[in-house]
Parts: sequence; structure tokens; C-alpha cells
Amino acid sequence: MTQRAIEVDTLRKEFKSYSSRSGLAGAFRDLFTRNYKVVPAVNDISFTVNQGEMVGYIGENGAGKSTTIKMLTGILTPTSGKIIVNGMNPHKQREQFVQTIGVVFGQRSQLWWDIAVQESFRLLKKVYKVTDEQYDDHMNHVIKTLDIEPLLDKPVRKLSLGQRMRCELAAALIHNPPLLFLDEPTIGLDVLVKLKIREFLKEINEKYNTTILLTTHNLTDIEALCDRVIMLDEGSIIYDGALKHLKENLGDGKELQFQFLEKVDLQAVKALTTGMPVKWALDEKEHIFTANVEDHDELVSMLIAKIVANYKIKDIKINETSTEEIIRNIYEKGAVEVG
Amino acid sequence: MFYVSMFFQYLSQYIKTRLQYRTDLFVEFFSDLLSQAINLIFILVVFGHTDLLSGWSRDEIIFIYGFFLVPFAVFSAFFNIWDFNERYIVKGELDRILTRPIHSLFQIILERLELESLLGGITGIAVMLYAGSRLGLTIEWYEPILFIVFVIGGALVYGGIFIMLACISFWADARTSLMPMMYNISNYGRYPVNIYNKLIRFVLTWILPFAFAGVYPAAFFLEKKEWYWYSFLTPLIGIIFFVLSVMLWNQGVKKYRGAGN
Repeated sequence: MTQRAIEVDTLRKEFKSYSSRSGLAGAFRDLFTRNYKVVPAVNDISFTVNQGEMVGYIGENGAGKSTTIKMLTGILTPTSGKIIVNGMNPHKQREQFVQTIGVVFGQRSQLWWDIAVQESFRLLKKVYKVTDEQYDDHMNHVIKTLDIEPLLDKPVRKLSLGQRMRCELAAALIHNPPLLFLDEPTIGLDVLVKLKIREFLKEINEKYNTTILLTTHNLTDIEALCDRVIMLDEGSIIYDGALKHLKENLGDGKELQFQFLEKVDLQAVKALTTGMPVKWALDEKEHIFTANVEDHDELVSMLIAKIVANYKIKDIKINETSTEEIIRNIYEKGAVEVG
Repeated sequence: MFYVSMFFQYLSQYIKTRLQYRTDLFVEFFSDLLSQAINLIFILVVFGHTDLLSGWSRDEIIFIYGFFLVPFAVFSAFFNIWDFNERYIVKGELDRILTRPIHSLFQIILERLELESLLGGITGIAVMLYAGSRLGLTIEWYEPILFIVFVIGGALVYGGIFIMLACISFWADARTSLMPMMYNISNYGRYPVNIYNKLIRFVLTWILPFAFAGVYPAAFFLEKKEWYWYSFLTPLIGIIFFVLSVMLWNQGVKKYRGAGN
């Protein structure tokens, strides 16, 4: 029953770049013979995305995210491999294909700079051959949810970044595409706008079963929206699966922080918990005792019980390893081993 | 026709944008008008000193120049792609173009309309009428029609050549300084080609056929029978070059590498 929105098989994109030799003599030699180097920006990746999924596509700068998105949207021609998006070959059937996708590039505007937002919408409506009924039915709702009604008669150049991004998002949805590509949609936005955009994306995903592929450096976006992440490093996929799974398997346990009412000796605390797999550390300045334990429910409660029984406590904090830390760890190791 | 309706949609958008800046619009209109007037005086002064050039009289040369201004104005109004590399490749604007369901070249032409350039065409027609009346030329019923056909042909020649030049950006990374050079070469097409040596004449006829936007079609209205053959080639050459340039463009888009973020 589930339909494939994106099917990618051993997709590869190589860029030819040349390295220049040093010095003036080198520059002259470059004039005649250049040292070409073929660099694969995307290195034989394969994945599929089903209709209605929200997928986070993450990776460091230069990992090949943008290149992949550009191949999926038909902007770039792949060097080799197969792409089928919405049942079409993006580059070969470009004009027909782009009718079925919406694209938001966070750093580039889809709207006309000098004219009012609604004029841009009107032109895009004609470009995508959207009928008045379809437009009214769909866009009135979009405009209301994104709260851009008061912005419609203002020229784009007078909008703030947050206002513009909401208009961009609306513009990408004029033809109500079943697949939406978002490249850094929340870059530079304040928290309120970010929340509004997230809410909105969830809503259209539920309402229209829209597939969303999202690239961002902001992992809270991914955590809030995506069940699945695809992680890219140097052109290869190093992880593809549930975000939860990644956290459970790679989270380095929990961190407990204690602050006591009276002065407590670190050695005494250590002595109290001998036999438990706990690593203690003390922040001398703030008098915060930090215990690193493995993520094991009983162990945490046992530890807390023991401490509480012996000392008067001012404050306890339990911290989970953040996604950001997990991902940093992965990149440092360079690979993911999920059990 | 979707593309015709899109043309008018973008046209109305263009007019709205222009009307946004009222003062700007007036200032620009007057400065355009002024520069056209200066242009006109300049032509008359410069050509005032020439008498006869390889069998062409002063008024005939002025007439050719006047004719040239018309297809050139049409070209400038519709094929405003001299900064294609910088604007669309380096800044990556082509990404946006390519995610819309209209042919990419057509979109760029629509986005970059600059209809005020058409004013130059009025100057051109004025120059032709002035020179024509001094030469005692009469206007036959079919001549306005042929005039339009030749103007479109000449504009397509220009458009084709400059589109091909823009296509270089798809293959080469570096910015090319070919555009200004080409504008210079195109200037040669404004004058009777038989004043040049054979090689330049060959280039201006078959390789970079700028002569088809100036002397060749104009020769028809000057009733120079020995050039008629070339005159009637104008629309054909225009179409051939334009079609070639669009084919090259389509190939080039496949080679587009995109700009990094």
C-alpha cells in the first residue's frame, strides 16, 4: 500500500576539480597541463523513502547533502546510478517532474524581491497551473496556519527573515506537492518562528500525507519532526534508520548531577557507591558532583536511593546524552555500529 | 498556449515592479530618452564627415545604422543575458529556475525583460525615416511586413550568439570576458561589410553573422539588388542560430554543476 516517494540506487556524483601548482612556474605549467582530480561528492548511495515519511538528511558541511538534494530535484545530473522520484526521472522529465515537488532553499529566495508577496504567489500559481478552486481551498489554509495574511501586500524586500521564510514555505506549497524538499529551512530564525514552521510541517504531513526531506544543522528540528534520519559523511551514508534507535544504542548512558546542602567529601561519596559502575567527578567551584552511569534504570534509582539516604540534597539533575553529542561522537569515530 | 500566457504574466509582473518605483521610472525614462537623442546627434555628426564608402553614400550608411538600432533594441529588451554567468551560475539562481516547470532559458528571458530598451528602436526608425527621405525612398505596402520579419531575424541572430556565449559558463568555471569583446565585434555589423577585407566579411556573414542584423537586411530597403540574396537569408540565419543556441543550452544545463552553499 505504501508508495515509494524516492528511490535511489547506487547514486554517484563526481566533480572534476583541478589542483593548482604552486608558484609562478607552476601557474604556467597549469596553463598547459592541469592536474585533474575526480572527487566523488556523492559516493554510490542507495535509499528509499516512502510516501508520507519525514526524513532528516544530516551531515557536516561538504558531506554531499546539497548535492544529493540537487540531484533529487533535477537540478544536477548524476554521474551514475538510478533515481526515481515520484515515479519519474528528475533530470530527464524535469519540467513535468517539478510540478510534483516543492523546494525551499533556506538561503535562496523563490519570491520576487520587488513585488508584493501575493503577486509572487499569483505568478507561481500560473506557473504551476493551479486553478482558482485548488488555490483557495489549499492556500487559504496555508496562509492562515503560517500567519502570513498581514504580510501578503508587502514587498518581499521589506520582510524580516522570519516573515520571509514563512512566505517561502507557503510559496513552495502553492501546487500542493506530494513531496517537499527543505534545505536548511530554519537557518537564522528565532525560536517562535521555528516552532511555528515545525508545527506547520507536521500538520501538512498529517493532512496531505506529504513526504518531507529535510536537511538542517539544527538537530532539534530533526528531533521534533523526523522519525528517521539518514546520515551522510564524505559522500557515503553512514547511518539510515530511526532516530530513537540511534539514541538508545549510542547514547553514552546518563549523567546525574547532585548538589548537597552540606559540605561533602568526594572520597566519602565514592566509598558509598563502591561496587557500582559509577564514575564520579566534582566541580570544585560550584560543588556539583557528577556521576556518569550506564543507561540502566535500576542502576540510576539505586544510586539515587543510596545518596539520598546519606546526604541532604539541594538539587538533582538527570541529563541524557544529547543527539548533538551522539552525532559528534559518530563523526569522530567515522562509522556507526548499531547492534 | 501556456508559454504565451506565461509571457504576459511575467510582463505584467515586470510592469508592476517598474511601477513600484515611480520616481525611478520617470528618471529612467527621461535619461533613456536623452541618451537616445544624444545617440542620434552623434550619428549625424560622425557620418557628416563621410561621403562615399565603397559605393555607399553617407545617407545610406546612416540608414543602415538606423536599421541596426531596431533589431538591437529588440535583442536588448528580450535577451538581457550578458550577466548570466554572474547572476545565475555564480550566485546559483539557476537552481531556482530549474525547480520550476518552464523551460529554463525561457524563464530567464522572462525574468530579465527590459522593455525600456525598445526606445532605442524608435530612434532607429527615426534615423531610417530621416535618411530614407533624403534618399527619396518610398515605402511599398509589403515593406513594413518585411521590415518586421527582418528585425525579428536580426534580433534572433544576436540572441542566438549571446545565448551561445552564455552557455560557455556551463562548461567553464571562470568568468569569461568574452561578452564585452563580442559587443565590440557586433559593432562591425552596423557598417557595410564590403568595406572590410574578405576574412572579416566571411566571419560577419557565416560565423558571427552580425551583418544580418544590419547591412544585409537594410540593403533590401535601400534597393541594393546585389545584396537581396543576403537580405532574404536574414530570417533563416536568425532561426538557425537561435535553434542551435537553444540546443547548446539544453546540453549545457545537463553540465550545470551548481553553486555550493
